[in-house]
Amino acid sequence: MTEFIVITSGKGGVGKTTSSASLAVGLAKRGKKVAVIDFDVGLRNLDLIMGCERRVVYDFVNVIHQECTLKQALIKDKRYESLHVLAASQTRDKDALTKEGVERVLNELKDEGFDYVICDSPAGIEKGAFLAMYFADRAVVVVNPEVSSVRDSDRILGLLSSKTRRAENGGPPVAQHLLLTRYNPVRVAAGDMMSIDDVKEILGIEVLGVIPESEGVLAASNAGVPVILDEASHAGHAYDDAVARLLGEERPMRFLEAPKKGILSRLFGS
Amino acid sequence: MARPLPNYEPVGELKFGQVGIANLRLKSLDDAALAQELKQKLDTAPQLFQRAPVVLDLSHLPQLPDVERVRGLLATIRASGMLPVGLAYGTSENEALARALDLPLFAKFRAAYESAADTPPPPSAEPAAPRPTPPPPSARSTPPPPSATRGAAGLLQSQPVRSGQQVYARGSDLVITAVVGNSAEVIADGSIHVYAALRGKAIAGAQGDASARIYCQDFQAELVSIAGHYRVFEDIPSDLRGKPVQVWLEGEKLLLARLGP
Repeated sequence: MTEFIVITSGKGGVGKTTSSASLAVGLAKRGKKVAVIDFDVGLRNLDLIMGCERRVVYDFVNVIHQECTLKQALIKDKRYESLHVLAASQTRDKDALTKEGVERVLNELKDEGFDYVICDSPAGIEKGAFLAMYFADRAVVVVNPEVSSVRDSDRILGLLSSKTRRAENGGPPVAQHLLLTRYNPVRVAAGDMMSIDDVKEILGIEVLGVIPESEGVLAASNAGVPVILDEASHAGHAYDDAVARLLGEERPMRFLEAPKKGILSRLFGS
Repeated sequence: MARPLPNYEPVGELKFGQVGIANLRLKSLDDAALAQELKQKLDTAPQLFQRAPVVLDLSHLPQLPDVERVRGLLATIRASGMLPVGLAYGTSENEALARALDLPLFAKFRAAYESAADTPPPPSAEPAAPRPTPPPPSARSTPPPPSATRGAAGLLQSQPVRSGQQVYARGSDLVITAVVGNSAEVIADGSIHVYAALRGKAIAGAQGDASARIYCQDFQAELVSIAGHYRVFEDIPSDLRGKPVQVWLEGEKLLLARLGP
């Protein structure tokens, strides 16, 4: 049974692609057969984060327009054999995507026996974002602890419950999860960042994970290595927890408290 | 007795405007099933469909039916309560049909309502060519940016070609004096000369000219292709990276070598 998961947010720059890459790697690491698709046609980034940007010959739009086969366009990850990337086209725009085309590609992935298909949505609520979420069974809404991101996510949650295949066919609703990224406990404690409880209260859905703000994320993105593979980074561990929860495991939330400063760092600064 | 003033107002006013109109695309020829389906539509939303104008699209049928058959289809549609007003999408056979039925042909109907995805590309849109190997990624002809100028010497592009942009020199060489960025595509039916860094994709001989070559001053390319023979550079060989390089085809083999001393 293939599960389609959309990673979405409404707002740009909150960490959708970073999260898509890390969740996909985390699932593949646990032996799942995973495809991760970049729906951001015209502004593709997933290939960079996954470190396969020089291996893109055919892309998602080529498959949709039947200019190549799905097999030709799926880029096999070098780290995990069961992980595949479908890059977006950089030279086209979102209108190159069609509902029928996307559906055909997703069905083909289903026939190929993929366990999970991660759809990395573009920002906004236009065609690309709409098609990324339309066929979803589950949605991971990525949100930063700040008011504009929370409002945009609220909008997205509304669309998930009305503008998706499940909503239109009257099936079970799209399962919704919240992924809080760029969480900085120090600033939360100081009162200038929204806390996990604030966000939960406004959006009212279950939290899949809290990813602490971390220097590792930027470094990992630039290196083309999803941050979940960075053993030294808290963000990596937090993504690993999120993947476990996605698969139904119970894990306590970590990295919610500001690290206690020891006497030495108090004296000498950190 | 005053003569009535001559009336210069035209009797009719001819204006073009856009109207929404239903398009009925047939996928198979089955009058009974069609009548049934249309009846269901009518029943669900009679206000919407009763006497609604409909354009009949036959382009998705495996074979174009003859005049009598189409007459029958039109009668079926009319019997359902909708009003067929024309045929959609014009191949020449379709046009002949429309003429025989004395119906208008909505030639651009599909093009206007759908993305290019479903419509067969116009024959000249894609540099179709003898392609011995899988073709390189889509080389659609996009008009060159305004910074490009064309002369007898080919197309000159003096502004950087940014990520996602395409420059296509149809029927000529392409000379570029600025950087070609990652995921940019430079395409020519002839040769390609880049007097700067080539970081994107270069597709020469796009119509199949095997004598086309690619020259660049600073080789960082993601992909080079000549007459459909292409090579992807996941890692650039260290002896070529950043160096002046030329690419050419020898038989079926794509060769690369450093230029100059």
